[in-house]
Amino acid sequence: MFQNRAEALALALPAAIFAAAVFLVPVIILLSDGFRDPVGGWTISAYTDFFSNSLNQTVFLRTLRLGAIVTVVSAVIGYAAAFAIVSLEPATKGKITGLVVLPLMISPVARTYAWIVILGRTGIVNQAFQALGITDAPLRILFSETAIFIGLLQLFLPLMIISLISALENMPKDAIPAARVLGANWFQVFWKVVLPLTKEGLVIGGTLVFTGSLTAYITPAILGGSKVLMLETLMYQQVSVSGNFVAASVIAFILIVMSFAANILLKRVATARNKVRSQG
Amino acid sequence: MNSNTLARSLFIPIILFLVIAFLIGPFLIIVAASFSAGDTLAFPPQGFSLRWIAKVFTVESFRASFGMSLFLAIGGTAAALVLGIPASYALSRYKLPGAEVIRTVVSAPIIVPGIIVGLALLRYIVVPFQVGITLALFLAHTALVLPYAVRVVSASLDNLRSDIEEAAVLLGSSRTGAFFRVVMPNIRGGILSAFILGFVTSFNQVPVSLFLSGPGVRTLPVDMIAYMEIVFDPSVAALSALLAFLSIGIVFAAERFLGFSRYV
Amino acid sequence: MSDASYLSLQKLTLAYGDTVAVPDLDLDIAKGELIALLGPSGCGKTTTMRAVAGLLPVKSGHVRLDGADITHVSPNKRAVGLVFQSYALFPHLSVYENVAFGLKLKGLRGAELDKKVRSGLTSVGLSTFADRKPAELSGGQQQRVALARSMVMEPKVLLLDEPLSNLDARLRLEMRTELQRVQKETGVTMIFVTHDQAEALALADRIVVMKAGKIEQIGSPEDIYNRPVSSFVADFVGFENIFPLENGRLRTASGLEELSSQPPSAAGLAWRPRMVSLGTGPFRGTVRGTSFAGDSREYLLDTPLGAIKAEVEASAPAHPLGAELAFDLPAHKAAPLSTFS
Repeated sequence: MFQNRAEALALALPAAIFAAAVFLVPVIILLSDGFRDPVGGWTISAYTDFFSNSLNQTVFLRTLRLGAIVTVVSAVIGYAAAFAIVSLEPATKGKITGLVVLPLMISPVARTYAWIVILGRTGIVNQAFQALGITDAPLRILFSETAIFIGLLQLFLPLMIISLISALENMPKDAIPAARVLGANWFQVFWKVVLPLTKEGLVIGGTLVFTGSLTAYITPAILGGSKVLMLETLMYQQVSVSGNFVAASVIAFILIVMSFAANILLKRVATARNKVRSQG
Repeated sequence: MNSNTLARSLFIPIILFLVIAFLIGPFLIIVAASFSAGDTLAFPPQGFSLRWIAKVFTVESFRASFGMSLFLAIGGTAAALVLGIPASYALSRYKLPGAEVIRTVVSAPIIVPGIIVGLALLRYIVVPFQVGITLALFLAHTALVLPYAVRVVSASLDNLRSDIEEAAVLLGSSRTGAFFRVVMPNIRGGILSAFILGFVTSFNQVPVSLFLSGPGVRTLPVDMIAYMEIVFDPSVAALSALLAFLSIGIVFAAERFLGFSRYV
Repeated sequence: MSDASYLSLQKLTLAYGDTVAVPDLDLDIAKGELIALLGPSGCGKTTTMRAVAGLLPVKSGHVRLDGADITHVSPNKRAVGLVFQSYALFPHLSVYENVAFGLKLKGLRGAELDKKVRSGLTSVGLSTFADRKPAELSGGQQQRVALARSMVMEPKVLLLDEPLSNLDARLRLEMRTELQRVQKETGVTMIFVTHDQAEALALADRIVVMKAGKIEQIGSPEDIYNRPVSSFVADFVGFENIFPLENGRLRTASGLEELSSQPPSAAGLAWRPRMVSLGTGPFRGTVRGTSFAGDSREYLLDTPLGAIKAEVEASAPAHPLGAELAFDLPAHKAAPLSTFS
């Protein structure tokens, strides 16, 4: 550790000042807009207005609901996939993990665009359904919550899987056989042993997926269209269509509060675990 | 083989097949669709041609926005590294007053949704200070990449013993000289990894750039979204496929030559 | 400058922020001496060494070397070498380039540079390893590279941080011999920091025992080993039975105890386990523990004085656990301590 403070500040301050000037200060001013009373002083009337509008309520609840469903479904699929992957031979495991991570490198626009081909009116799903005689007329899958759900799940599932893979790999090797020897069935093994021991990874993955889903723009923009809005697309509309910057500020604040809440939850759970560990 | 191991030996390949089909399949469909000979986006593709891939290169707005995205990804990441490397060095090697505050400030752009950053920049930098859109985009992408740069460079600095700098100084080097002679050569892999991660992040970024567009100034992904709202031909698929191969190629090369995943 | 104060620390005060680690230290070291700074972790030995190297700014006081005040000379201009505990080799450079690093900065080039690097490598027996990277060497080899890298700079003082602690027992002996040889051949003044008394005793001309930033005792290995001046030093060099002395009597767990013979006047007395006479004497104790160490056998006794450790020849008859034994703490064998803490 070097002691020279002036040197340290000279090195660190340019980045900090840049981030503060270009990012922190403008964002704080933007967030404060929603609390500013046009006649002076502060008010939360913009928030009461926002939540009294039924369209806004729908969008807010939809965003929360989609975030929650995507997180839960990706956790369920994530555990199955992570279990399957950690049980592979090391060489195969590396390749499969690479395939899971690969989509993260591809532009979200490209990844989301693919669903138009699959879910569209003449897309593969509708072709298959009609060929199999499940439906007569093409189903409207695109521009719905289902389409957004599928898009978000595909976008964020890799984050959950890799979080759970590393959690499962860090689990004590003998935990599962030990529990089996003690007479636990597979359900009990998962509930009483695996889940507590991988909680940290689940929380990390869950936070990434949840905040990612809340704040996704591309997926609802492409797969939800202008009718099925989420908070981010609503915010974009408020600015570019209505020029309502106060509403945009309110949405921004809600998004940030929800992201931070998820982040704090993550840290809580992680430190709670650390405490237990240091006591034991 | 009892029923238990039979179930497991079936379960694993089925799960993996389904998950990977879900994750990779859509991308493969995009690739296939981009070789279509038809006029609209469809799968299975109607015939085979390279016309849509060729068309990508002739669309003027794609060329301009590709140039813009490339400039932002390279310039923004380079700027983020110029700011981020000294900051990471200070955070990892010095006893710095307010280190946690500084770390939080430089990493904050990663937590706040990009659309908010873009809007805040538009309203409180671009408009009041009469900043050009290109410069605003550059600032935004630099701020966006800065957290990644600091995180990856810090990680590789933390893996490097700090006493080698002291050793270099005792052998006659100045402090600055020690940084360039013994620190830089040893964190080069980390810096390159940070560059690649920053490049991919910046290049694929949409929400930050949404509000920051002006006449003829747009990033490529924003341009693609605008294009696909108007035209439903396979050229966006072709472009998506090309970009995906570009990203994958860069990341694969990085992994192969640098062991990229060690740093990310 | 006298010969006895080639390197001189005068009223040296060192601090990390506001925490003073070393207050008012005075120490004179002669040219060509091999000095050990000995003490437990946190005693200020490493802090002192870093200040001599210039890696830690001095709060007050002076460092003088070879007649010049170097207190505020930057570390790259001090002609002080340091072999780090971790060796701190540059991982991206070959062994040859590591050794050449400082010489190149001095402006050496071509044949002259090559000659110095080669002879440096030869002197530590690594001439065939010139093209290896540090990661391809064993710990002992890495340390020899670090030694050569410092020595080719012809430093006025060579500092070594725990030079033997990362080596296994066999290499430790080898390295010890190596350091003594280098010191003899070059006449360089060497200061090494260690927490291991055996290392200090085996290697140093003079040992400086430090405690809480202050010098507790300076002396030859014989002095330190046989005539510790304080209870701290006595404990550190293996006197396990240490008692304060009050009016010629021992202060023990059960009050003041008369010794079998008249003790010298001192603040305390200390006995090594083998200085305790077992079998006869005015005191009684019960065997609580016993361990066999080849040549000798050690007993841990529960006594009214407190716990006593005694060591006898292994050939003497063994006593079982729980046996009650008489013993004596002979005053004439004890090391008299002038300070007791």
